[in-house]
Amino acid sequence: MLSQESLAKIDRELTKYPADRRQAAVMSALRIAQDEKGWLSKETVAYVAEYLGIPPIAALEVASFYNMYELEPVGQYKITVCTNISCMLRDSDVIVDHLQERLGIGFNETTPDGKFTLKEGECMGCCGGAPLFHINNKRMCEFLTKEKVDAILEELK
Amino acid sequence: MLAKIKTVLSSLMLVELLKGMALTGRYFFARKITIQFPEERTPMSPRFRGLHALRRYPNGEERCIACKLCEAVCPAMAITIESEQREDNTRRTTRYDIDLTKCIFCGFCEESCPVDSIVETRIFDYHGEKRGDLLYTKPMLLAVGDKYETQIAADRSADAKYR
Amino acid sequence: MLNIEIDGKAVEVDHGTTIIDAADKLGIAIPRFCYHKKLSVAANCRMCLVQVEKFAKPLPACATPVADGMKIFTRSKAAVEAQKSVMEFLLINHPLDCPICDQGGECDLQDIAVAYGAPASRYAEEKRVVLNKNIGPLVSTDMTRCIQCTRCVRFLKEVGGMMELGMVGRGEHAEITAYVDKSVDSELSGNIIDLCPVGALTSKPFRYKARTWELTRRPSIAPHDGLGSQIEVHIKDGKVLRVLPREKESINECWLSDRDRFSYEGLNSPDRLTVPMIKHHGEWHETDWKTALEFAAGQLKDITNADGGEQLGVLVSPNSTMEEAYLAKQIAHGLGSSNIDYRLRQTDFRLDGKRMGTPWMGCNIPDLQEMDRILVIGSNLRNEHPLLANRIRKAVAQGAELSLVNPMDDDQLMAVKHKAICTPNDMVNVLAQILKAMSGLQRLSLCLPKSLNDLLETVRVWDNSQAMAESLAGLGKEVDLVSPRTGIFLGNIAQSHPRFTELYSLAEAIASLCGATFGILSPAANSTGAHLVGVLPGEHGLNAKAMLESPRKAYLLVNVEPELDCHHAAQARQAIAEAECVIALTAYKSEALEHADVLLPIAPFTETSGTYMSMEGRVQSFTAVTKPLGECRPGWKILRVLGNTLGLSGFDFDSSEQVKNAIFGGQKPSTVVWNSLNNNLRELIDIQVKIKSNVLQRLGEVPQFQSDAIVRRSPPLQKTRAVQAPVAAMHSQLLTELGLDDGEMVTVKQGVASVLLKAKRDDRLPHGVVRVPTALPVTSLLGDLMGEIEVTRA
Repeated sequence: MLSQESLAKIDRELTKYPADRRQAAVMSALRIAQDEKGWLSKETVAYVAEYLGIPPIAALEVASFYNMYELEPVGQYKITVCTNISCMLRDSDVIVDHLQERLGIGFNETTPDGKFTLKEGECMGCCGGAPLFHINNKRMCEFLTKEKVDAILEELK
Repeated sequence: MLAKIKTVLSSLMLVELLKGMALTGRYFFARKITIQFPEERTPMSPRFRGLHALRRYPNGEERCIACKLCEAVCPAMAITIESEQREDNTRRTTRYDIDLTKCIFCGFCEESCPVDSIVETRIFDYHGEKRGDLLYTKPMLLAVGDKYETQIAADRSADAKYR
Repeated sequence: MLNIEIDGKAVEVDHGTTIIDAADKLGIAIPRFCYHKKLSVAANCRMCLVQVEKFAKPLPACATPVADGMKIFTRSKAAVEAQKSVMEFLLINHPLDCPICDQGGECDLQDIAVAYGAPASRYAEEKRVVLNKNIGPLVSTDMTRCIQCTRCVRFLKEVGGMMELGMVGRGEHAEITAYVDKSVDSELSGNIIDLCPVGALTSKPFRYKARTWELTRRPSIAPHDGLGSQIEVHIKDGKVLRVLPREKESINECWLSDRDRFSYEGLNSPDRLTVPMIKHHGEWHETDWKTALEFAAGQLKDITNADGGEQLGVLVSPNSTMEEAYLAKQIAHGLGSSNIDYRLRQTDFRLDGKRMGTPWMGCNIPDLQEMDRILVIGSNLRNEHPLLANRIRKAVAQGAELSLVNPMDDDQLMAVKHKAICTPNDMVNVLAQILKAMSGLQRLSLCLPKSLNDLLETVRVWDNSQAMAESLAGLGKEVDLVSPRTGIFLGNIAQSHPRFTELYSLAEAIASLCGATFGILSPAANSTGAHLVGVLPGEHGLNAKAMLESPRKAYLLVNVEPELDCHHAAQARQAIAEAECVIALTAYKSEALEHADVLLPIAPFTETSGTYMSMEGRVQSFTAVTKPLGECRPGWKILRVLGNTLGLSGFDFDSSEQVKNAIFGGQKPSTVVWNSLNNNLRELIDIQVKIKSNVLQRLGEVPQFQSDAIVRRSPPLQKTRAVQAPVAAMHSQLLTELGLDDGEMVTVKQGVASVLLKAKRDDRLPHGVVRVPTALPVTSLLGDLMGEIEVTRA
């Protein structure tokens, strides 16, 4: 189900906690699984749960609580734009409109070629860099302008 | 002495009789208030509490959900209900009996019904020839409801603003 | 001790007490939904907010430990305002379907809304809708009604041992669900119905049957396992509509196993026998009581007069009441027979006459959860004694070490420290090893009898057994317990083991070496009671096994379905079929009794008064909760009249209390019980440790929902996932050796009889064991529960 590298990474996370507290690594394990699979199918969650020796529902509780875990398939690049107050004051609306126009999709939609998914995000704790979005939960792009967005999209294409 | 003469006079003059005849005459020419039941009927309040009926929704589905509040509230214990889960998973009655020989027509059943299913209609001139005829079962109550639905619905809407 | 004040009332409480506990102690009501005294504190419903002096905001009473001098107000303006607001929030998404909700009338949300809520809601927007989940045939869901208190989640996780439900999503999207389309399969799942403070989880068999206020509630005792759980039977129009637990901390706490909760559906089964029946020229005829009893008495008399009393065999179900057992014994003795037994599934009777008293659990039920070390031999705990398993689970959660010696490795949903999974034959060997290891542990050295010592010479101790012995003796990795509270228990599998004597003797020796409590977990509601009453073969009498091995001419069956309740189904079937006269007292018509001659309809536990004695020696009498169905009569009455008709003396009883008095000789039951409970042996029996055999051995376990006639007829229980078509399960290695594939049809043969079953790979079994369940119609052609078995490709 998961590759050897991913399992090795999960094992490394497990070493951070006492041997009888394997559930503690559930967030890292789900993150690693999502990195590999792109999103968390019910099968993936169940596999991770089994690997950690916890009930599958316990893993699903965590996976469904945090919105950076994707329980539905997403495109290759998931762009999560912050629309909270700080970003909004710094014209995140413009960025959102521009993205939607460029990609031809609304929030929670994926482009037909399966490349991009657009998501609306909550405050990412980087208000100093507003407006901003992040790509696949990993790459943070700050001080966005239309031109900068175009450049990033061009780079990803 | 004087009083005696007065009495004799008035009896000779048939005053009492004439007074009586005058009253009779007044009523004779006045508007009649007697009605010819059952051809004629007195007007009735929409709140009249007569024979019970079970209503249906316009789509034909029976309203009663077997919550048994009427059964619980009935002071005469005249209502008997049995319930089941119908095939479409809804809660329905398998039995809804009202024993009209017990019923005191207090209207609590109607008052307690959350879906306006059990109602008391304007019908009061029903009868039974045997004691058992007054035990109304679910099909009978539904039949009453079906027959008088227009009247029942009109009565409920007339009274709605006071509820 | 801390001094606090609640609503002006002063109270002294322990450190660490929460406000809600202190208030409960004072009898001050604080509304709550998520808090439950048996579950962990979640503090997520916020209903128990109270005002505390010097705190700016209201505090949740369930999660706030008291501090010295705290002044708490539960009905102050601030507290009432907080309660009102919380109530309003809780009701925002709660549907207004109380009229069709089964919880209506006993709903915490209704009650608390009336007591603490505002008269009207200001919420006019759309309510949310949550799809219902199908979580099995026992619990019905209406998830829109859920207020996310998570009691069910916490129950299944903490008490059930397996988190089968969870809360997914967040905020407005949070909902309780099982994983994808799984069902809740816990053997305690029915308790989430009681726990649910709203109508989100309700009983499926009871769904829409009645409103709570129509039900008559009567106390009774659960008749399916040896725990003696106290139950409350709810009746409408003379029909049992549901069963709930009565709170009894020292027995069933506030829980009830699914078997006890849902078995009542079997009472309303169409199989119920309602009139006495006599077989005439191979045809069943309904008849009246007088004819039936006179016919039965005549038959019994004819045979016992002609062939002697020893031609009569009496089999009494261990689920029968003490009164029924006693009167059956009186009849047997009166007719000159000492062939009477209740141990229908036992195969090894070498202990008879060597015991000092009535075997019992050895301790009280709550003692289990206080133990430090527990050894369970031959028991599928969750299957056999669901609530006892829960006590052990609690002990394990508190750090007790559990060791298991079992012929299968079913998940008991608790941490097992050591386990020996071996064939039934090897179990004896493992116990001998533990005994040897135990006697070798210096600080516990005690003298063993020479016969045992010599025997142990030849035993080689495996590491696992050594570890088990050390654990039982209290030795630990970090800390050694000087005087651990240890318990050693024999389960149902051990009791039907062909070498029960050896298991018993060795376990007793181990227990006396390490000073442990030693007991047997009685398989049925009245096993202990039947033993106390003396439903046992007399000196020259035959036991349950012998009675079927050397068939009798006449049988009297009390509550027994021979081929489903006896250890050797095929033998039982044959013996009954060939007997000249079989008198069966039974609540059900059944195929198993097709060969009987007279069927006398006996009232099940809800329709008769009687007494059960639980495995801890608790004598509990109960009364009938409803009238007997049709012409059914309480068992004690039938047996009494049968005794009278037979012309026997000593049957002049007018009530079951009088029978009970006769049983206890007019003394207080506790005195009699106290004097008779004893697990010790008078003398040791020859023990053979090494029996190596290369034949396959059957593990014939009684599935949880097949344990007795009532359970077998409960449709909801029979629809659970625990009930599956019987298979021949075996280890993958054995499967390969026999050249079989998983899922293939195989012929399973015991003696002359064989049945076709599906082979199933099950690596939780030891090599050499084929697990074929018993007490099922399909497998009732087979033989001994733990006998030799052959498996070949069909």
